[in-house]
Amino acid sequence: MQRTIFACCGAALSVLLAIPAQGQTGAVSGKVSAGSGAPIPNAQVSVKNDSTGAARETLTDSAGGYQIADLAPGAYELSVSANGYRPASQDLIVTAGETSSVNVTLAENLSLGDLGFTSAQTQGSQADQARLDQRSHMLKMHQRFGILTAVSFVATLISSQSAGGRRSSSSGRNWHAGLGILNTGLYFTTAYFAIFAPKIPGTETRGQIRIHKYLAWIHGAGMIVTPILGGMAYNQRSNGQRVTGAASYHGAAAAITATAFGLAIISVSIKF
Amino acid sequence: MQRRFWVGLSLLCGATPLAAQGDASSWILTRSKITYHVSHPLHQTDGMSYEARGKGVCQNGQCSFLIGAPVKSFNSGDSNRDLHMIQVVRGAQYPMVVVRTTLPESAGSQDTVRADLEIEFAGQTVHYSQVPFQLVMHGDDANIEGTIPMTLSDFKIDPPSLLTIPVKNEVPVKVEMLWHKEK
Repeated sequence: MQRTIFACCGAALSVLLAIPAQGQTGAVSGKVSAGSGAPIPNAQVSVKNDSTGAARETLTDSAGGYQIADLAPGAYELSVSANGYRPASQDLIVTAGETSSVNVTLAENLSLGDLGFTSAQTQGSQADQARLDQRSHMLKMHQRFGILTAVSFVATLISSQSAGGRRSSSSGRNWHAGLGILNTGLYFTTAYFAIFAPKIPGTETRGQIRIHKYLAWIHGAGMIVTPILGGMAYNQRSNGQRVTGAASYHGAAAAITATAFGLAIISVSIKF
Repeated sequence: MQRRFWVGLSLLCGATPLAAQGDASSWILTRSKITYHVSHPLHQTDGMSYEARGKGVCQNGQCSFLIGAPVKSFNSGDSNRDLHMIQVVRGAQYPMVVVRTTLPESAGSQDTVRADLEIEFAGQTVHYSQVPFQLVMHGDDANIEGTIPMTLSDFKIDPPSLLTIPVKNEVPVKVEMLWHKEK
């Protein structure tokens, strides 16, 4: 009997002691939802005690609900985050013996799809980039060889002074012919890099590059005709003959070709 | 102490949804012109795009904006130069310029808005702080103009060159936009 009384007293005492222990903590609960009102499951909800830095966290259930219990009374920061939504945070006070209710509405993260862009517009292509890289590389070579060709054009034109007319000499003709051959080689190397640079489908040619391309038809044809006429003139002169017939147009063809080539460089170098 | 008072008061009033601080509203970009400027000793070039799209969502007193423009939509008047630009900025691999920013709803009452911008471009994400934009409100429409001080090195872009001379590193981007508020 005495044992039973002690046991009852002990149980009553432990219950009495437990009541204040539960009353010393508080809790926070609520619901996390989207701007549309739809609940957000699996959102991460965390609370951090302002003074101790102690943090607790949980995930929302399928109805967007959450609860974090056994929090020491005090000031907290409540933070909520979920995939596809902008995170949100809020200050709250946890009071002993009470459950604070904090509902959170998360704003959706905007995406390019929300702006009406299709995935075809927003997805990149390594293959397309590689084609562009190759194109730029070849056009860079086109530029460099173009500058070299321009220099050799000038040298060939200067050397023509001792290749024709009254001041013509055998060595002058040979120098001119040699430079002419070098110039022709450089020219067609330059042209190769432009002609065989990868084309980009769907690109409409516009701007000064059109002038550059039109002029290529002139100096391109000129660079075929001029060396042929030059060879004919060289042979006539070397045989002690006067330069006659089609060969007599070598100088004019060279001047037109060089001018068109110079204008082609200017057309992509200076903006008008 | 004051903070605790207000927090306590809000708790006394019951549940405190974060969104309750302001009505949700949104902004739509209705017209835009974005212009980049490239300097070269032989050239001063401007490339323009009119194809940017944008949206802003306001909640809890904050407005989040997203603006996107296809890289290939920029037109400098020369197709060869534009293709070269797309190549150097890796525009085939990263075809969009994306700008994100967040502004307080109260910014609409100011003449000058200073925005912290997050720009995704050429495979890089770069932050520009406190970029000033002039703001003119006409009812539910907002005209915004400003210049973003972008540089090629910020985005790890090798400066393209013409006749072996590279362009300047600074490529300022002028932004002119008309936004419409929807409730």
